Amino acid sequence: MQREGGHYLLDRFRSMRETSIGSFVPVLLALAAIWIWFGLALPLWDLASGEAESFRAIFLSPRNIYNLFMQSALIATLAAGITIVLLLGEIDLSAAATAGVCAALLGVMVLAGVPGWLACLIVMAIGIVMGAAQGLLVAYVGIPSFVVTLAGLLGYQGLMQKILPTGNLNVGDPFVRGFTRVLIPDLWGLALGILCILLFAHASLRKQARRRALGLEAEPSLALWAQVLAFGAIVISVILTLNAYRSLPLLLVLLVGITALLGWVTTSTPFGRSLFAVGGNAESARRAGFNVNRIRVAAFGIVGLMAAIGGIFGASRFGSVSYTAFAGGSLLLEAIGAAVIGGTSLFGGRGSVWNAILGALVIGSLGNGLDLTGASAADKLMVSGAILVLAVAIDALSRSDGGATH
Amino acid sequence: MGSGNNQVGQSAPPAHLSVRGVHKRFGGVHALRGVDFEVGRGEVMALVGDNGAGKSTLMKVLAGAYVADDGQFFLDGANVSVSSPNDAADLGIQIVYQDLALCENLDVAANLSLGSEPVKPGWTFLPRILRPLDDLEMEVKAKVAFDKLEVRTLQSVRAKVGGLSGGQRQAIAIARAVGADSTVVMLDEPTAALGVTQTRQVLEVVKRLRETDHAVVYISHNMRDIFEVADRICVLRHGGNVATYQRSETTADEIVVAMTRGLANEASDAA
Repeated sequence: MQREGGHYLLDRFRSMRETSIGSFVPVLLALAAIWIWFGLALPLWDLASGEAESFRAIFLSPRNIYNLFMQSALIATLAAGITIVLLLGEIDLSAAATAGVCAALLGVMVLAGVPGWLACLIVMAIGIVMGAAQGLLVAYVGIPSFVVTLAGLLGYQGLMQKILPTGNLNVGDPFVRGFTRVLIPDLWGLALGILCILLFAHASLRKQARRRALGLEAEPSLALWAQVLAFGAIVISVILTLNAYRSLPLLLVLLVGITALLGWVTTSTPFGRSLFAVGGNAESARRAGFNVNRIRVAAFGIVGLMAAIGGIFGASRFGSVSYTAFAGGSLLLEAIGAAVIGGTSLFGGRGSVWNAILGALVIGSLGNGLDLTGASAADKLMVSGAILVLAVAIDALSRSDGGATH
Repeated sequence: MGSGNNQVGQSAPPAHLSVRGVHKRFGGVHALRGVDFEVGRGEVMALVGDNGAGKSTLMKVLAGAYVADDGQFFLDGANVSVSSPNDAADLGIQIVYQDLALCENLDVAANLSLGSEPVKPGWTFLPRILRPLDDLEMEVKAKVAFDKLEVRTLQSVRAKVGGLSGGQRQAIAIARAVGADSTVVMLDEPTAALGVTQTRQVLEVVKRLRETDHAVVYISHNMRDIFEVADRICVLRHGGNVATYQRSETTADEIVVAMTRGLANEASDAA
């Protein structure tokens, strides 16, 4: 408001980021750029330089897209959880280790004969306790979250090694494996997608009608329908692509469902509003009557829960629990990177769990694409680092205070 | 005491909120030494004094942030007790702190409802903190509040506070204080960091508060602002009353002298 002249484009960009739909645009653009690079540019280059006889669209093949989604699901689950504490301006370095402990416990329990569903519920409860315990230290003892969760990272890594002395355990439980193995039949998947689109359109139209009735500023109908159309096109094309290879896997339906629930809680409830308020100005939130300490503990509890769910998803997808796949590997940094690439600020008060999902897709696509081109692990690390810096730079430039940090 | 009010004219409205003989000690420091203070509805009472005179302490006592060691509170003549910010809020006393306490990452409507967000009816199986927010109700509330204060500089209640000017932010903080069914609004240096235009906007809002029959306590160092909006001016010095003046019957010079030297003939009383 009330800005004159100057950096018109940058201002437009900033004001676009302020809207709920607009905040998706940068990460969607990044995703599109990566997909075009690996899916079109590289195969065309190979074709032109004579390295390949025909156009090989391996990256954009339904089979690879399917694998890409499945690979990104674990990162996405953790990233969505970490987003919750990032909103508060805190950080959780222990999420991947928590996921590892939960997955290991799950493996041990189902091996001991505990029913799969019960074991899942138990590890979810344990995850909440593990997260909330760290939250208590942050909120009531006053230790910076970076230190608490760094200690948690080390401690939980050790705990996982204690639970899994051999470092590896196969998980064959049909219930646990079912999350990734169960496929939604093609038609049911399509029906589910269409239902989602109808619900989205219904909610948007109803909100618009109420805005008009109350005399509030409403979005133009054209923009509204464009949103519904874009949403519908993405949903349908994703489902058709997945159907072309296998079908919509249950794992993705669960991931989208959990993210939708978490997204609703963060944007549309007093609790979610308190997360943003504390992240924006903790002292104001306290004076406004929010119990800041309890909110912090709850947020860390949610990260613990999401980490446990991530652990279950990981165990289901790999069919095994290994130290390197969770606590000892790059999962933690990929999850934090996904949240930040999605546009969630490390300084608190801005971000969304949906953006974290898209950020996870960016990270997953990079890894997948580089793997397909035969890049070495060293190349992958360097490219991932460059992309992360680029994302944070865009974030800093698009902040309305011109990139100055608090 | 009582000698401090000797210059109050006949036109003073009946007091809405008044305190008598307020004492406040911080360890060995006697910050308030039996201060009397009153403000009526539809009146802007300026509270002035040099640094350390006890303005902020008195304001925090009125807001319940500090508990007075001694002294009586009256609201519309009835004896009341204020021992916490919640007590003050329940009595309709609201304070706008100098730092405004706004969340820059939230929009105007969200800031106005911060801490008392409206939720949609139904959903009673959920705890209140997890029920769906009524965003539109929030926007309507914000619009009503700004219409009441005749704030026209805000183009949209959906704008993020981070992108607004100091005057607009002050207006939002004042609107939030007014929105909570308050009758007494205390403003701490509302124009301290503002330019000329912004100051003008805020002073308009303060005048509007008087028109809507609020009791306004206005703390400031700026004599021009005080003489523009205040009806009466209460001068504190060394934690005690110097005098309360009618704006129409005094001058800035007289106030400054009272702030810095006290009344020549009552210097012993003020100390």
